[in-house]
Amino acid sequence: MKIDHSLPLEYSTKQNDQNIFGFWVFLAAEIMLFATLFTSYFTLEHRVGNGPSGSEIFEITPVLIETLVLLTSSFTIGLGIHAMRIGKQKAMLTFFAITLVLGLGFLGFEIDEFITYIHEGATLQTSAFTAILMMTLGTHGAHVTFGLFWGAGIVMQIKKRGLTPETTNKSFIFSLYWHFLDVVWIFIFSFIYLKGMM
Amino acid sequence: MSELFPRKQIMGFVFSLSLTAVALAVYFLHLSFAIGMFVLVVTAFAQALLQLVVFMHAGETKDKWIIYGKVYFMITVALVTILGTLLIFLWDM
Amino acid sequence: MDFLDRFAVPNPSIAIYASMVAIGLTVVAIFAGLTYFKKWGYLWREWLTTVDHKRIGIMYLISALIMLFRGGVDAIMMRAQLAVPDNKLMDAQHYNEVFSTHGVIMLLFMAMPFIFAFMNYLVPLQIGARDVAFPRLNALSFWLFFFGAMLLNISFVVGGSPDAGWTSYFPLAGNELSPSVGTNYYMFAIQISGLGSLMTGINMITTIIKMRAPSMTLMKMPMFTWSSLVTNLIIVTVFPVLTVALAMGSMDRLFGTHFFTTTNGGMDMLWANLFWVWGHPEVYILILPAFGLYSEIISTFAGRNLYGYKSMVASMVIISALSCLVWAHHFFTMGQGPTANSFFSITTMAISVPTGVKMFNWLFTLWKGKIRFTVPMLYSIGFIPLFVIGGMTGVMLAMSAADYQYHNTMFLVAHFHNVIIPGVVFAMLAGLTYYWPKMFGFMLNERIGKWAFWLLSIGFCLAFFPMYITGLDGQARRMYTYSEATGYGALNMVSFVGAGIMAISFAIIVYNVYYSVRYSPRNISADPWDARSLEWATHTPVPEYNFAITPNVASSQAFWDTKKKGHELFSGELEKIHMPNNSGVPFIMGAIFFVWGFSFIFSLWIPAIISTIAILVCLVLRSFEVDHGRYISVKEIEETEIKLRGVN
Repeated sequence: MKIDHSLPLEYSTKQNDQNIFGFWVFLAAEIMLFATLFTSYFTLEHRVGNGPSGSEIFEITPVLIETLVLLTSSFTIGLGIHAMRIGKQKAMLTFFAITLVLGLGFLGFEIDEFITYIHEGATLQTSAFTAILMMTLGTHGAHVTFGLFWGAGIVMQIKKRGLTPETTNKSFIFSLYWHFLDVVWIFIFSFIYLKGMM
Repeated sequence: MSELFPRKQIMGFVFSLSLTAVALAVYFLHLSFAIGMFVLVVTAFAQALLQLVVFMHAGETKDKWIIYGKVYFMITVALVTILGTLLIFLWDM
Repeated sequence: MDFLDRFAVPNPSIAIYASMVAIGLTVVAIFAGLTYFKKWGYLWREWLTTVDHKRIGIMYLISALIMLFRGGVDAIMMRAQLAVPDNKLMDAQHYNEVFSTHGVIMLLFMAMPFIFAFMNYLVPLQIGARDVAFPRLNALSFWLFFFGAMLLNISFVVGGSPDAGWTSYFPLAGNELSPSVGTNYYMFAIQISGLGSLMTGINMITTIIKMRAPSMTLMKMPMFTWSSLVTNLIIVTVFPVLTVALAMGSMDRLFGTHFFTTTNGGMDMLWANLFWVWGHPEVYILILPAFGLYSEIISTFAGRNLYGYKSMVASMVIISALSCLVWAHHFFTMGQGPTANSFFSITTMAISVPTGVKMFNWLFTLWKGKIRFTVPMLYSIGFIPLFVIGGMTGVMLAMSAADYQYHNTMFLVAHFHNVIIPGVVFAMLAGLTYYWPKMFGFMLNERIGKWAFWLLSIGFCLAFFPMYITGLDGQARRMYTYSEATGYGALNMVSFVGAGIMAISFAIIVYNVYYSVRYSPRNISADPWDARSLEWATHTPVPEYNFAITPNVASSQAFWDTKKKGHELFSGELEKIHMPNNSGVPFIMGAIFFVWGFSFIFSLWIPAIISTIAILVCLVLRSFEVDHGRYISVKEIEETEIKLRGVN
C-alpha cells in the first residue's frame, strides 16, 4: 500500500481517498432520502384524521434540549478530528467518547418523546400525519443509533491498532456522517417542530 | 490544551448556537407565517452551509468542486421534488 | 396447517402447477449436474466469491438473459390472451399477475442488470483502471440484485404473484384490495435489488471520477463511460426516493399505517407521485447507457470520430437534470390544476431537444462514413428511425390536454414499448454482439445474427404499431379481454403475430450462441471489429489486471490514435499490481437479505429479527476485518503477457 506522507493520514492512500469521495456521494443520496421524507411530511402534515395535530403534541423543551445536545456532539466530533490530525490519540478518543455519550443522550430524549406521543394517542397507526412524523423522526433516530454502534466500533479499533491510515480514514468518514445527521436534525427542528408550533 | 480547541471550530459552534437562537424567534415572537418561514429557511440553510464548510471540510481537497457540485445538485433536485409535489397537491389541486 | 396455508398460491392454475414442476426439476438438474461434474468448488471459488468486475459483469449478463426469457413468456401469454375477443385462455386475476410481473421483471430485473453488465465490464476497461473503486461492494450489489430477482420469481409458486401492475398504485395495492402477499413480494424484492443499484451508483461514480488513467481528462473519456457517469448520477439521485416510497408502502401493508390509505388522512396519490419521482428518471437510467453503446458502435462502423462529442456530453447532462423535472406527466389526469400540468408538460417537451441533438450527432457521424453493415451496426441504424417514432408519440403524450384522450390506453403501451425496445433492447443486443468477442474470445455468427435482427424489427413493428390505432380507438390497457363489437380483434391478432415473430427471433439469437460456441473460429485478434476506444487495446481474454501498464491516452479514441497516428499507449516499466481478495461475504449477505425479505413478506417476525441481526453482524465483521489485498508480481505479469500475446 503506497502511503503519501504529504497528506493527512486519512487521505494518505489511494483507497482512502476513494473511500472519502464515495462517502460524499452516499451523503448526496442521503439528502434525497430525507428530502423524500420531507416531501411526504409537507403533503400529509395537515391530514390528521381523528388524531392530534402537530401543534397539539409538540413541546418546545425536549426539542430544544435534543437540538442543543446534537449540536454540541457535532462540535465535539469536529474537535476529535482536529485532535486526530495533530496526532493526539488520547484527546481524540476522549472527544469521540463525549460525542457518543451525547448521541446516546439525544436518543434517550427522543425515545421519551415517542413514549409521550403514544400516551397522548398519537401512534404510528393513528393518522397519516402521525405516521409520517414518526417515520421521519424514526429514520433520523435509526441513523443515530446505527452511528452509535459504528462510532463505538471505531473507538475500539483505534484503541487496538492506533492511528493508522485505515482507522483515521474510518474516523473521518464517521465524522462526516455525524455532521450530516446534525444538518438533517436542523431541518427537522426548523420545518417540523418550529413550523408546526409557529 | 489550547491547540485542541482551534479558533475556527469554536467560532463555528458559537455561530451555530446563535442561528438556533434566531430560529427560536418564530416560536417566541408572534410573526406572520411568511416572515416566520423566511427566518426558518435562512437559518436552516445557513446552518447547513456552516456544517458543510467548517466541520465537514468539504473544500479541503482537489475534489472540492465535484463535491460541492454534487451536493448542490442534490439540494436543487430535493427542492424541485418538494416544491413540485406541493404544487401538485396543495397549491394547484 | 394454518401456518402453511399462507404459502399456498391463492389462484392456482395448470400453468402455475406446471411451472412449479419445471422449477423443481431445473433446480434438481442444476444441483445434480454440479455434483456429478464436481463443479461446486469451481463455482464457489471462481464465481460466487469473485470481486472481479468482468466476472460480475458476465453474471449480470446471464441473469438479464434469463429474466428476458421469463418476461418474454409473460408477454407472449398476454398477446395470446388478447389475440381474439372474449378469449378464455386466462382469467382476469391471472392476467393481472402476468402484466404486473412482466413490467417489473423487464424493467428492474432484465433491463437494469443488462446495463449494469455493460457498465461493470466496460467502464474500468475504458478508463484504464484495474477494477472498480469498491470491488467488494460491487459484488454485494450484484448479489442483492440477484436475490431480489429470485425473491420476485418465487412469488408465483409460493404465496402468489404481485397483481396491482408494475406501478402498484394505491389504494389497489393496499391490503383491502390486494389481500394476497403478492404486493409484499413487489415491495421487498424491489427494495433489496434497489439497494444494490444505489451501491452500484456510488461505486461507479467514484470509479469514473477517481480511477481514470492519469492522462484521461473528463473530456477524453469514451462516450459509453460518459453515459455511465451521467446514468449513475441519476441512480444516486432517485433511488433513495424509491427506497422511502417502498418503505412507506410496506408499512401500510404490514404495520397498518395510513400513508396511502383512503382513511385517517392517508393519501393514495402520494404513492403515484413518489413512484414517478423515481420512475421517470429510471427510464433515462435505462436509455442513457443505451445511447452510450450506440455512440461507440456507430463511430466504429462508420469509421469516423463521433460527431459533436461536446454536444453529446452536454445533451446527456441536460437530459439528466430535466429527467428529475417531469414526473407529473405520468398522471396528468389525477386532478391537479392547469398550472401544474402546464409546467410539467413544458418540461417534458423540452427533453426532446437534447435527445434530438443526439440523433443529429449520430446521423452526422454516419454522413460520408464508410459504413460496415455488421449486426451491431444494423441494430444501431434500425434504432434511429424507430426510436424517433417513439419519441414523436412521446411528445404527443406530453401535451397534457391531449393526454386526457391517450391516458391509460394502448396508445401509451405502444409508445413506451416503442422507445424501450428499439432504444434499450436493440442497444443491449447490439452491445452483446459487439462485445461478445471481448468477453468470450469468439464472435457470434453474422449471418444468423442478421436474420435475428430483421425478424425482431419486423416483429416489433407488427406487434406495437397496431396498438397506436386501437389505443386511439379507445382500447384500455390492463384489461384482460374485450368484446367482439369493439372491432379491436383484427389488429390485436396482428400484434399477436408480431409478438410471435419476436419470440422466434429471440430463439434464433439463442441458437446463434449455440452455433457460435460450436463452430466459430477461436483464433481471432483482440480487436476483431477494428474499433477505436481503450477497451480493445488489451488482450483477449482480458487478463485479471486489465492492463499490465496504465495506458497513456491523448483523446477519447485512444486505441485508434495508436493504430493510425502511432500514439504510444503503453510506456514505462512493469510494476507489481495490487488486486483485491475474493470474498464470500457478499454472497452470504445477499442470501441473508433473501431470508430477510421472505420473512417480512410472510410476516414471520422471528426469522425477520434474526436475519436483521445477521446482516448487522456481517457489517461489524467487515469493519473489524484487516484485508490489504494481494499483489501480482512482475514475473507473473510477464508470464501472463507472453502467454496472451502468443494467442494473437
